[in-house]
Amino acid sequence: MAGSLTGEERRTCLLILGVLALCALGIAVPGRWDPIGVHGLMVVLLCAGAAGYLLLRLNVPEPSPEELSGYYDAPIKVGVGLTMAWAIFGMFVGVWVAAQLAWPDLTFHQAWSSFGRLRPAHTTGVIFGFGGNALITTSYHVVQRTSRAPLADRVSPWFVLFGFNLFCLLAVTGYAMGLTQSKEYAEPEWYADIWLVIVWVTYFVLFLRTLARRKEPHIYVANWYYLAFIVVVAILHIVNNLAVPITLASAKSYTVWPGVQDAMVQWWYGHNAVAFFLTAGFLAMMYYYLPKRADRPIFSYRLSILSFWGITFFYMWAGSHHLHYTALPHWVQTLGMSFSVMLLVPSWASAGNALMTMRGAWHKLRDDATLRFMVVAAVFYGLSTFEGSFMAIRAVNSLSHYTDWTVGHVHAGALGWVALITFGSLYTLVPSVWKRQSMYSNALVELHFWLALSGTLIYIFAMWNSGVIQGLMWRTYTENNALAYSFVDSLVAMYPYYIARTVGGFLFLLGAIVGSINIWLTVRRSPASQAAPGVYDRPHDLDPTPNAAE
Amino acid sequence: MNFEHETLVAFSKSWGLFYLIGMAIVVVVYTFWPGNKKKFDHAKRAVLRKEDRP
Amino acid sequence: MPEFFHRKIERTAIGFVVAIIAAASVGGIVEIAPLFTIDETVENVADMRLYTPLELAGRNVYIQEGCYACHSQMIRTLADEVDRYGPFSLAVESQYDHPMLWGSKRTGPDLARIGGKYSDVWHAAHLNNPRDVVPQSNMPAYSWLARTPLEVDNLGHHLAAQRAVGVPYTDEMIANAARDALGQATPDSDAAFSILDRYGEETQVSAFDGVATSVTQLDALIAYLQVLGQMTDAAYLDTAASELPPDAEDRDVTQAEEERN
Repeated sequence: MAGSLTGEERRTCLLILGVLALCALGIAVPGRWDPIGVHGLMVVLLCAGAAGYLLLRLNVPEPSPEELSGYYDAPIKVGVGLTMAWAIFGMFVGVWVAAQLAWPDLTFHQAWSSFGRLRPAHTTGVIFGFGGNALITTSYHVVQRTSRAPLADRVSPWFVLFGFNLFCLLAVTGYAMGLTQSKEYAEPEWYADIWLVIVWVTYFVLFLRTLARRKEPHIYVANWYYLAFIVVVAILHIVNNLAVPITLASAKSYTVWPGVQDAMVQWWYGHNAVAFFLTAGFLAMMYYYLPKRADRPIFSYRLSILSFWGITFFYMWAGSHHLHYTALPHWVQTLGMSFSVMLLVPSWASAGNALMTMRGAWHKLRDDATLRFMVVAAVFYGLSTFEGSFMAIRAVNSLSHYTDWTVGHVHAGALGWVALITFGSLYTLVPSVWKRQSMYSNALVELHFWLALSGTLIYIFAMWNSGVIQGLMWRTYTENNALAYSFVDSLVAMYPYYIARTVGGFLFLLGAIVGSINIWLTVRRSPASQAAPGVYDRPHDLDPTPNAAE
Repeated sequence: MNFEHETLVAFSKSWGLFYLIGMAIVVVVYTFWPGNKKKFDHAKRAVLRKEDRP
Repeated sequence: MPEFFHRKIERTAIGFVVAIIAAASVGGIVEIAPLFTIDETVENVADMRLYTPLELAGRNVYIQEGCYACHSQMIRTLADEVDRYGPFSLAVESQYDHPMLWGSKRTGPDLARIGGKYSDVWHAAHLNNPRDVVPQSNMPAYSWLARTPLEVDNLGHHLAAQRAVGVPYTDEMIANAARDALGQATPDSDAAFSILDRYGEETQVSAFDGVATSVTQLDALIAYLQVLGQMTDAAYLDTAASELPPDAEDRDVTQAEEERN
């Protein structure tokens, strides 16, 4: 890590750590009677640890001129490790909270381990920890390769990566102490939010400067999606998190948005976090790693442009479908519903584009589980976007809303699309960045694939069943026009599905552990790549099929 | 803000739609502009090239 | 012309960023902007109460424990919801809610009108261990709430911050926040009487968790739960629910509501 930086860059890092530690101290001392003080102290200690690490390595030789002019891959390697660590953490907490719904005493009577505090740790862990690190890591890889230019500088990639992980850490430890804004997927308090803005602006500048250095005349479409992800997430984050802290020495704050506006802003944010965090960025992965792995160009470049602008434009309108039949004005609900249905067009265009890329090469899926990860992800993307548009229709939503059906839908997207495309991308990226012939064990990739797929299917079928049963029980009337079931009746009916869901989630977690071990062994044990440059990331047991169709 | 609620709602309901149509036309023209074909074809294949060094 | 425009956009990635913002932000602006003038359309409710300091603190306990992850506070305009939970929620009822707690999932029932439905004693027992009163429940036990003292000293700051975002707390309310919080949970004390002057005769003064000598997080949470749905009578004034035939094919009562207006 330190060896990839010049002496001057190491000193810059120390300076940044010093400034950050001072700021943290400025929070820790006045806030010492408040949880914010714990966070201040935590940041001071982390900065001290990082500074100690760098100081001990000030004399490590600087990188050679040849290394300095090449792609800068050191942050990518650390990013892969962080991605998998957060995957295991986030999915483990997910299995735990799933089990708590079936066996509520699994809180062990501790405040930090109750469902309400662990649930945001699960969502933050998987969405931001796992998903966010995967996005940052792959964006560093893709933007360099498609621009044929190294990252614009060598300090800010580290700042962005570690800064983002610090945000995740503040978030998760904050929940354990009871710190939350209660805004779903935007729970961290005001100081963590401000920190994320600083990190995000740095990320944006780094990405733009790297693009500006490109040797290709055209910006490849994957970078469009990364750029939309970075820009729009910044807008969403700032607007949704505007808040007034009760004092600067306290973690607690109150959002500036009241009631109805807050609901609208929150779900405008919530839905677009799905669009620009969990869709745009991962489509970027698909548009690079899928053609790369399949060794065939994307089916239609024009279609990818059309669907890009379609997704960018339509998604912003769709958030209000989370608030059907509520106190939100009727016309806003209708707008949200209409655009949600229209969204299906660009979404299926993207999924279709991915699948058509495989035409004439479907046989590759038989032996290459990595490619299968990505193709199955595209199928799940198509399925869950269809389901999403369907559920946004008011009549359907009246049944599905507030039930486990929504949870099932989210996980069809999160497990089936986001996680599978990420694993497929990582299995393509890891041998390439570490210059290995292939992954350590293809059998383990295969095992991971089947664990992940079966876990996802068990999970979403369980939630579909429980959600529909729940929704129907709530609205069933007896012949005498009385409600047929009490709420507790509907809860009792859920227990078998909650247990099944826990099993599905456990299989998925197991897959992530297998994947992590495989990546670790690839880095440690796999033979270095001997092949000509550019071919190393293709598995050797596959015949290189010529691109007849193109 | 001194806008009447009804004015804002009317504006939202009409201009949002015009914006959508205008936007769609620009994007479609750009995508199918004959001069862009070469550039797109190049970009489409460029990702498959070797990538050892910049 | 469009071609020239787009070439330019592409060469400088900044132009591209502007295009993304232009495409993406319009949806949000168009949908959200009119909501800022919506209070012109919401009738002013004369009897709308403010949260007392203790209730606000209880609301913060509700937030801190993530109750909103399993309980909604938004009764939709559907007949079965109105039959089960009470009149559907009105926009004005969350007028002073920063943040709103409408929720998105009902692992447990809706709580928008839970206030007054159960006794304080029931709530205390239920929060201590839900399975003592509802054997089939899968709600976590919040036994530590009764043991955790409520921090009242900084409640003035809380009220001041609420005022900064638009909730009409007076200087007097802010100055007496800590005293009012203690008073509401300590019946028959002097402080218990002055809170009625400031927050209205409707304010419930009670020992809440059954222990009048100390104010805990459990006191605050129960005080909050007991006012849910009680902040205004607006929703009860004319609800259309009972007028609809229960077997109506479309159980949407919005239309009935619109016709009335």
